[in-house]
Amino acid sequence: MGLDAMTQNKNELNIVVFFCEQLDLNQDKNRRVLEKELGTSIKFFPLPCSGRIEPLHLMRAIEAGADKVFLITCPEGACRYREGNLRAEKRLAFTQGLIEEIGLEKKRLELIRSKGGAEMTIHERVKEILKREENVNTSPLKLQ
Amino acid sequence: MITAERKPLPEIKEMIAPYRKVLLVGCGSCVAECASGGEKEVGLLASALRIDAKMHGHIIDIKEITLDRQCVYEFIDQLTGIAGQFDAILSLGCGAGVQALADTFPGIIILPALNTTFIGQTKDAGLWIENCRACGDCKLSYFAAVCPITRCAKGLFNGPCGGSQNGKCEVDADVPCAWQLIIERLEKTGRLELLQNIYQPVDWSRQLGKGPRKIHREDQSA
Repeated sequence: MGLDAMTQNKNELNIVVFFCEQLDLNQDKNRRVLEKELGTSIKFFPLPCSGRIEPLHLMRAIEAGADKVFLITCPEGACRYREGNLRAEKRLAFTQGLIEEIGLEKKRLELIRSKGGAEMTIHERVKEILKREENVNTSPLKLQ
Repeated sequence: MITAERKPLPEIKEMIAPYRKVLLVGCGSCVAECASGGEKEVGLLASALRIDAKMHGHIIDIKEITLDRQCVYEFIDQLTGIAGQFDAILSLGCGAGVQALADTFPGIIILPALNTTFIGQTKDAGLWIENCRACGDCKLSYFAAVCPITRCAKGLFNGPCGGSQNGKCEVDADVPCAWQLIIERLEKTGRLELLQNIYQPVDWSRQLGKGPRKIHREDQSA
C-alpha cells in the first residue's frame, strides 16, 4: 500500500520508523509534517545512531501492532560512530530471524540504507519510501 | 562462565502450552554475557511468545523479571510472594539456575528455556568457546594454561598427535591445535622442559560415577 493509499486508509497500515537523527538535524520539526498528514498511522523514533537499535525495540514495535517497521541508517561508510549502521543491520537481521520463527514474514522489518549525495529531510526520505507499493498486509496480530 | 543457548521456539511453546500465566525469569550473570538469558533476552522471548499467542488466538499472560544471579538463594528470594501467582515459571537460567529455582519453589512448575552447553570464555564479541570440562583434576600448570582435555580434539596429555596443519587441528580445521599453543607458550615462558614429563590420565572419578559433586566449606557457612 503506497503513500496515497495510506493517506486514504489511515487506519489500515501502521508504520514505525526508527531512524538515525544524524540524517536530518532538524528531524524534530520535519517529521511532524508526515505525522500531521498520516496521524497515528505513522510513528517516528529518532536514534542518536542507528546502532543504538536493539532487537527488543523492533519486537516491541511489532507487538504493539506495527504492520511494517523501517530502520533507516546512514550511508555505508558514513556512520559518525564508524560501525553503528553495520551493527544495526546485524541486529535487524537477527530480529527478522526471530519473527520468522513465530511465523511472521521477515519483510515486516526492513532496513533502508540511505544513499550518499543530496541531503533529504526525514519526511522527504520516508515519503519516498512510502511511495513504493508496500508488500505487507495488515499484521495477523490485529486480525485476532 | 557457563554458556547456554535458547531452545527452539516450538519446544518452548510446547512446554508452556498448558499454562495461562507464565513468569519468565532471566539471569544477569553467565547467560546474560552469552546473550541467551539476560534481561534483553527475557524481553525478546516474552515479546515473541506474546506475539505468537496473539496470532493464534491463545490467551496467555506473560510477565518478566531478571535476577542478578539465578543460582543463589539470596537472589531467588526476590521471587518469594510473586512465584505463586503464576502457573509456571520459564527460566532463562542455566541448568543450575533452573534447579535452584525448583529447589526454592518445589510446588511450582519450573521449565527450562535454555540448553546449557559448556564452560567457556568470551573470545570475541558474539563468540564463546569452550575451554574447561570441570574435570576436578586441573593440570593447567603443566600445559601453560591450555587445557588439553577440552581444547585438544583427541584429549591428548602427552604431546601433539602430529596431524595438525598450519597450526590447525586435523579433526576440525577451525580449531587451533591445542598442543601447538601449549608448546608455543611453554617456550615463551621458559618451561619447555615440562614436555619431557609423562602425565597420567585425568582422574575422572572426581567428576563421574559418584552422583552430583559438592563442595562444603565450614568457614563459609552461617
